[in-house]
Amino acid sequence: MTVLLTGVRRLSLWGLWFGGALVLLAAVLIGIDVILRVGFNRSIGGADELSGYALAIGTVWSLGAALLDRAHIRIDSLYILFPTPLRLALDVFGLILFIAFFALVTWHGIGVLQQSVQASSRSQSALETPLVIPQTLWIAGLMVFLATGLVLLLQALGLALRRDASGMAKAIGTKSAEEEVEEEINALKDRRTTGNTR
Amino acid sequence: MIWTTLLILLGLLALAVPVAAGLGFLGLSLSAIYSKLPLTLAIGEMTWATSNNFLLVAIPFFVLLGEILLRSGMAERMYNALVLWIPWLPGGLMHSNIAACAMFAATSGSSVATAATIGTVAMGEIEKHGYSERLFLGTIAAGGTLGILIPPSINMIVYGVLTDTSIPKLYLAGVIPGLVLAGLFSLTVLIFCVIWPELGGRPTKTTWPARIAALPDLLPPLVIFLSVIGSIYAGFATATESAALGVLAALAVAAWHGRLTVTMLKTAFEGTMRTTAMIMAILIAAYFLNFVITSIGLTGQVNRYITELSLTPTQLLIGVIVFYVILGMFMETLSMMVATVPIITPIMVKAGFDPIWFGIIIVILMETAMITPPVGINLYVVQGLRKRGRIDDVIMGSLPFVFTMVVMIALLSVWPKIALWLPSVAAN
Repeated sequence: MTVLLTGVRRLSLWGLWFGGALVLLAAVLIGIDVILRVGFNRSIGGADELSGYALAIGTVWSLGAALLDRAHIRIDSLYILFPTPLRLALDVFGLILFIAFFALVTWHGIGVLQQSVQASSRSQSALETPLVIPQTLWIAGLMVFLATGLVLLLQALGLALRRDASGMAKAIGTKSAEEEVEEEINALKDRRTTGNTR
Repeated sequence: MIWTTLLILLGLLALAVPVAAGLGFLGLSLSAIYSKLPLTLAIGEMTWATSNNFLLVAIPFFVLLGEILLRSGMAERMYNALVLWIPWLPGGLMHSNIAACAMFAATSGSSVATAATIGTVAMGEIEKHGYSERLFLGTIAAGGTLGILIPPSINMIVYGVLTDTSIPKLYLAGVIPGLVLAGLFSLTVLIFCVIWPELGGRPTKTTWPARIAALPDLLPPLVIFLSVIGSIYAGFATATESAALGVLAALAVAAWHGRLTVTMLKTAFEGTMRTTAMIMAILIAAYFLNFVITSIGLTGQVNRYITELSLTPTQLLIGVIVFYVILGMFMETLSMMVATVPIITPIMVKAGFDPIWFGIIIVILMETAMITPPVGINLYVVQGLRKRGRIDDVIMGSLPFVFTMVVMIALLSVWPKIALWLPSVAAN
């Protein structure tokens, strides 16, 4: 289980870098496109379409990391007033709903991909991108996210069997305001130190 | 139908279900209860279309822009330069805080990023110069909220996409209200410090040569603002394209300060994509929900319900403002926007309000939500930077500025031109 979890964590970190790199590439591509268009009256064409794919693919490959880092927003105004067992039960419930919703998205997303394969659909643009390419990367990202979610769920249930409440809260609880802020500060410090090491 | 929807939504959110899953399951339940057609079948196509929407690409761009700027060393230099230029007013550095927030807001699309960045730099000054801690903290928490009013603004992008309103026009409409609100914040500080001079701290002394020497440090924010907003004003870039130009400008600023490294980029990527995934998950679910709500005719029902109340536009506006101020105490702003804006905006437009103008009102109401307890993200950011005392100090210090924001909304209601003049000029 620990090996699995470490693997999933590492994979999700790579997902973030991959997604970030796609976004940066998209920004550079669009930036060059605008500069060429304004300055030299030329266009590379298709930058908008490609950046759309970058967003779709980057998003799904980063969903898992956001889940593991508990970055998905939950409204905890009432929740923080509940006793711990109820809170933990709600954590599991919320996690299951989150995974289930994206499982449904993935299921119907596969349908979209299948259609693109059967009709060999291409985008309606100058690029005529075969939609199979971006959609395959998109579905792959969704599936990796589902696997990540399931591993996290198993870990949480395992902790529940061992009656490890604090471990569970750490894995799937909401970040209490305090904890969240502490992280924000540490991140800021990190940023400043990494920024200073040239 | 209205009450069932509200009940399911509030139930799911009160149980602290992740907002994305909550909105998604609300959509699924409504479709199961009220629709004859299986609306769920559309979820794949719809998610793909939402996720590669070119307008939404601006969101990760602005998050990335902020992450790069945070590590570029720009904010420290900018703050220090502003400290030399502004402290002669009663209230001293508190005016510098507001000015620095306004200036940073012109490069950043997020209020949390603005408060965190300026707060980090400013926090050390409280004791050095003997300021009233509360009001000083308030200027950072409230000043930081300018991040989403002064363009660029992630919340304006979300509003524009949800309501089919032009994002460039929203940006232009935000410029003057942003500056006016910053001015009103300063005025608030001024009033407090004239009545109670002990709040104001000791004035700092500077010389003209020092001021002139610091001027170049104000240049980088200006360059980024001009790349983002100038390109839109001049009409040669769309909202997303201007965001891409902003990213390039931020990379240039970071490189100029010698801060552009692979490690820096990797950390920036991590922060960017975590936030992007969180926002996109909510937007994907919200899109599906809105599709269901429109298909089952809920929007029409709400509309009829409101019409039956036969309120005057002014009463309606006051009702909406009170609704958001109260909801804003308990809800986080992005969730609040995606859950309410698609339903409320059409009602307001039908009552004769301009959608661009209403977008600005919504953004200011989101700013109030960020500094009203118990759920006010900027309060927590500032308290977190401070690391001592109780959060009550930040809450009390921010309170005067909540009133300032309400005054701003009143001004905008009486003179809508404050928001609408600049977009109308640019269009010609």
